[in-house]
Amino acid sequence: MADIRPEDLEKRRDGRNIDPKVGSLSGEGAQQRVKGTDETHPSRELPRMRPSPSGVPGEAPSYYGQPAIKEPVWIWSIPLYFYVGGVAGAASVLGAAADAIGGKRLEGLGRRCRWVGTVGDIVSSGLLIHDLGRPERFLNMLRVFRPTSPMSVGSWVLVGSGAMNTASLLFAGRRGWLGRAGEGAAVAAGLLGLPLAGYTAVLLANTAVPIWQATRKSLPLLFMSSAVAGAGSLLELLPHSRRDAKVLHLFSTMGKVGELMASVAVQHEASRLEVLERPLKHGPTGRLWKTARVCTAASLALGLWPGRTRWMKVAGALLGTAGALATRFAVFRAGKASASDPQATFQPQRQGMGAAEVTGHTHASDGKPLKFPLPVLREEPRAPERHAPPVWPREPEIPAP
Amino acid sequence: MGQKGFFTDTTLCIGCKACEVACKQWNQLPDDGFRLTGMSYDNTGHLGASTWRHVAFVERPVPLPTQTSGVLDFSWLMSSDVCKHCQRAGCLEACPTGAIIRTEFDTVYVQPDVCNGCGYCVAACPFGVVDRREDDGRAWKCTLCYDRLGEDMTPACAKACPTASIQFGDLDELRERAEHRVEHLHEKGLEQAYLYGADAENQPGTGGLNAFFLLVDRPEVYNLPPDPVVPTMKGREAWAAMGWGALGMAVVTLGAVLFGREVARG
Repeated sequence: MADIRPEDLEKRRDGRNIDPKVGSLSGEGAQQRVKGTDETHPSRELPRMRPSPSGVPGEAPSYYGQPAIKEPVWIWSIPLYFYVGGVAGAASVLGAAADAIGGKRLEGLGRRCRWVGTVGDIVSSGLLIHDLGRPERFLNMLRVFRPTSPMSVGSWVLVGSGAMNTASLLFAGRRGWLGRAGEGAAVAAGLLGLPLAGYTAVLLANTAVPIWQATRKSLPLLFMSSAVAGAGSLLELLPHSRRDAKVLHLFSTMGKVGELMASVAVQHEASRLEVLERPLKHGPTGRLWKTARVCTAASLALGLWPGRTRWMKVAGALLGTAGALATRFAVFRAGKASASDPQATFQPQRQGMGAAEVTGHTHASDGKPLKFPLPVLREEPRAPERHAPPVWPREPEIPAP
Repeated sequence: MGQKGFFTDTTLCIGCKACEVACKQWNQLPDDGFRLTGMSYDNTGHLGASTWRHVAFVERPVPLPTQTSGVLDFSWLMSSDVCKHCQRAGCLEACPTGAIIRTEFDTVYVQPDVCNGCGYCVAACPFGVVDRREDDGRAWKCTLCYDRLGEDMTPACAKACPTASIQFGDLDELRERAEHRVEHLHEKGLEQAYLYGADAENQPGTGGLNAFFLLVDRPEVYNLPPDPVVPTMKGREAWAAMGWGALGMAVVTLGAVLFGREVARG
């Protein structure tokens, strides 16, 4: 950074407006890479801008309808990873269980699960690295272990799962201590598969995005059951024996039932407030959410149909895969929509669903008492100590344009 | 050393944007393109990767008690927004690489040579401050002029502010000054004045802000959340749900293998 010469500065016309004769590039933001100055920075596009005063009648206040928080910058590879990582995790779990208690009959299934787990872990890493702003620095993810960050925890889980799955694939079935180590690695991969399938939901819940934060109690259940359904469906699509088919059918059916139940729970948790539930009900995200449920339900119905033919099995597995994929994309897109709606941030907090949920205080940061959606049995709301809550003047009604 | 921070008194802000310009100049940040948003005099919209100070312009069709002209029922609220350097910072607790650190001045700083642009801090900030620049790929936000603090200098925005709307100093002293200011404004008849995020009691969700504000209308009007919370505070419930999910998944898997095996045999 210190080796930028004056002639470089002259070449570097990137909107910094620095006179190369007197300026040197050593400021905190000077390293910021800028492609071109002519086009506006993409995040500066303000499509939702509304040149109207903040007091739009009939709606709670906001700043020109601008989002209050930043929309997550993640791209398509992240929801796809949620699916692939979930499948890898659930397959590892099934593989470990088949090895441990399945006996000789399910040996083939165990081996196939390890393959799915290993390939899934490798593809997952690729998808995650693809999303990074600086992919060449992907190893920095393993620079620290931070328990407060689900992404840090998850990175370690993914790396551990990948290592264990690969080791079990290479060594299990060999003779001697190497074989025993491989079997141990398979068990470890199975144990790591549980958090691998679920931590992604915790990662989403641990953000400021209103709908993800509000559904934190049911989202992990949705992701984990969807992982089971997804892994079961994918393994059903791969060639397998008739013995394996029974296990896989049971496995994926229970996953699909769980996925449908958990999706109802997620919708119920979001429905505490209309603004929170909005992305799941309306618009493209609402349609995607509905599609996911329809696919899963259809797949479940096909799976339970008496006297299933071959094409029904294939169609059921394909629909199950589509349902698991659509679920992740719907949750992901709903979060983006929720983040760009300022009311989704403001209104739940006014209703006591912000910090008050965990700290139990009764007043917002402006000293006004919070409205609780239900009568909450707490001690008398304490009077703010320093000064009386300010009284906002009533804004006159402005006729809508 | 010691806790440093900003006290932004929005009643003194005249909307000159000297803070925005000084910040860009000192930190050598690129411009954001020359466009008009149509939102009053606000042409930057929100804080972002290359906008570390942002002046909000709120046009209200209601007067402020101390600003009555008798002619027009109108008041203009201006507020210079900045990274709040929260006591419990969502970005810092979310950062998986350790790029975001708390400095010796109790501020929150993103190390550009470590950040790998995972984007988790962007989603974790309850105020929408941090952003990732697409062409740069890393997360950027106000550093509270970390380089200037090291030389015992005032941050560029506070130095440039012509009306002392942005005040920099030791946090204890700033809080005291801010409370005096609120009392003074109440005496003058501006009953609405209050401090936003001055301490943990006022804003338990963030543990108090190192850059706090004096506001005269609801926080939403300035695009500030009324009861922000660092997401980690609610993380325990999500982890617990995942624990139950793991239990369920283990039961389902073992059940499928056991029953599937039995069915296959029979």
